[in-house]
Amino acid sequence: MTKNPYDVLGVSPSASDDEIKRAYRDLTRKYHPDANVNNPLADLAEEKFKEVQEAYDTIMKEREHGGYGSSSGYGNSSGYGYGYGYGGGYQQSSSSGGSQDVEMQAAYNFISNRRFQDALNVLNRMPNRTAQWYYLSAVANANLGNNIVARDHAGQAVNMEPRNPQYQQLLNQLSWNTQRYQNNPYGSGYGYGNGGNNTCGTGNMCCDLWILDSLCECMGGDLCSCM
Amino acid sequence: MFGYVTAYEPELKVKEFQKYKAYYCGLCQSLKNRYGALGQLTLTYDMTFAIILLTSLYESETKMSAHRCKVHPLKKQAMLQNEITEYAADMNLILAYYHMKDDWQDEKSVSGFAGTCALRRRVKKAIFKYPHQSRVIQRELKNLARYEKENAMELDAPAGCFGRLMGELFLYRKDQWEMTLRRLGFFLGKFIYIMDAYEDLEKDIKSGSYNPLRELSKEEDYEERCREMLCMMMGECTAEFEKLPCILDVDILRNILYDGVWKRFNKLQDKKREEQKV
Repeated sequence: MTKNPYDVLGVSPSASDDEIKRAYRDLTRKYHPDANVNNPLADLAEEKFKEVQEAYDTIMKEREHGGYGSSSGYGNSSGYGYGYGYGGGYQQSSSSGGSQDVEMQAAYNFISNRRFQDALNVLNRMPNRTAQWYYLSAVANANLGNNIVARDHAGQAVNMEPRNPQYQQLLNQLSWNTQRYQNNPYGSGYGYGNGGNNTCGTGNMCCDLWILDSLCECMGGDLCSCM
Repeated sequence: MFGYVTAYEPELKVKEFQKYKAYYCGLCQSLKNRYGALGQLTLTYDMTFAIILLTSLYESETKMSAHRCKVHPLKKQAMLQNEITEYAADMNLILAYYHMKDDWQDEKSVSGFAGTCALRRRVKKAIFKYPHQSRVIQRELKNLARYEKENAMELDAPAGCFGRLMGELFLYRKDQWEMTLRRLGFFLGKFIYIMDAYEDLEKDIKSGSYNPLRELSKEEDYEERCREMLCMMMGECTAEFEKLPCILDVDILRNILYDGVWKRFNKLQDKKREEQKV
């Protein structure tokens, strides 16, 4: 049975990020192998040390994107796994047919196998750029760290098919960290400091969160289960 | 490097600012001790940030001392130094070395030549000590030069080269933070690259040099687009930062990441606004 990570760190699930970091520091210092060299219970300490590390990772992963659907850290071997998930398989659209479908299928397969550069190569050869094309290009680019193009293409997909929940979800996911940054509690000077011409977001973290949550819920997802 | 990743003094406590300066002076001193006056010339705020971040993450034992230096001859300067300061000094020189080497090959510039000869021996040692970082720095600078030659207008590609280079610099140890540090550095590097292109645009257009923002600058919403892109990079960068268990000097680090990095951008914006008025 796996233990609740918050119990391992001895903090409440409502603890702030900084409280969790402090608890992690205290515990790893206590159980660090170097601090227990002459301890007869060194093995136990090491086990505890690992447990604390895992608990910390679990919590940070959970809290990423405000607990929002993305999972990061796929442990991509190349080390650039930006970990943007994509949902669902490929639905054959009966109308177009032909090589377009074959290539789109190939791009999907490459993405499923996390071969993002291969996916892009296939996509870039395709002349017909549908909403689906922009969506796949956004996923592949995001995972390669090309976050500018990724967001542009996700936006393009949403513009072309505003009612597609998958496209909307990807766009939200790609915008999440920017929004969080703009509403951060730490700084004041970030870009929008002296003009006050903040174009997206209400300027209120809670309010934005609520709007985002509603957006997700009406698409069938859920951002904050408590709202 | 460029000095965009710096502290925003008005928002820092006096004590914190002094500590920040002490890290900066510590790096300067390490550069001098290891690489002489030429090495000192490579001193930057960007690398100071790397030192504070890695010191906070690894809680390395730090030594406080006071020295006199040429820039501040009257009063002894407080300095903070540790193993990471030494590492950062080496990284700075490896970076400068490969950069100058490129300069010399491309433009046969005198500065490049002098730099290469004087520093070669000492830097070679550092390159040997950090083969991973050296290889990536060399590779990505080469890729960058290729994009410049191709006149690439897609920002992600050249900015990504610099991002991967920066990401590698943060890998002081190979441990469980590798992925997080790599991404943090990657997006910070992209931020620096875009910021640099933004600042140099006019100059580059005048001299006919490569600038990845040249095409975009013709668009009406150019300023807003730049701000958005920079914000995106810092959004991703700080998301990674907040995953690290940094407690020590976290206020300085957040001051840099959430405020300081915008100092130059805001200054340039103010200047543009002034010019518009006149």
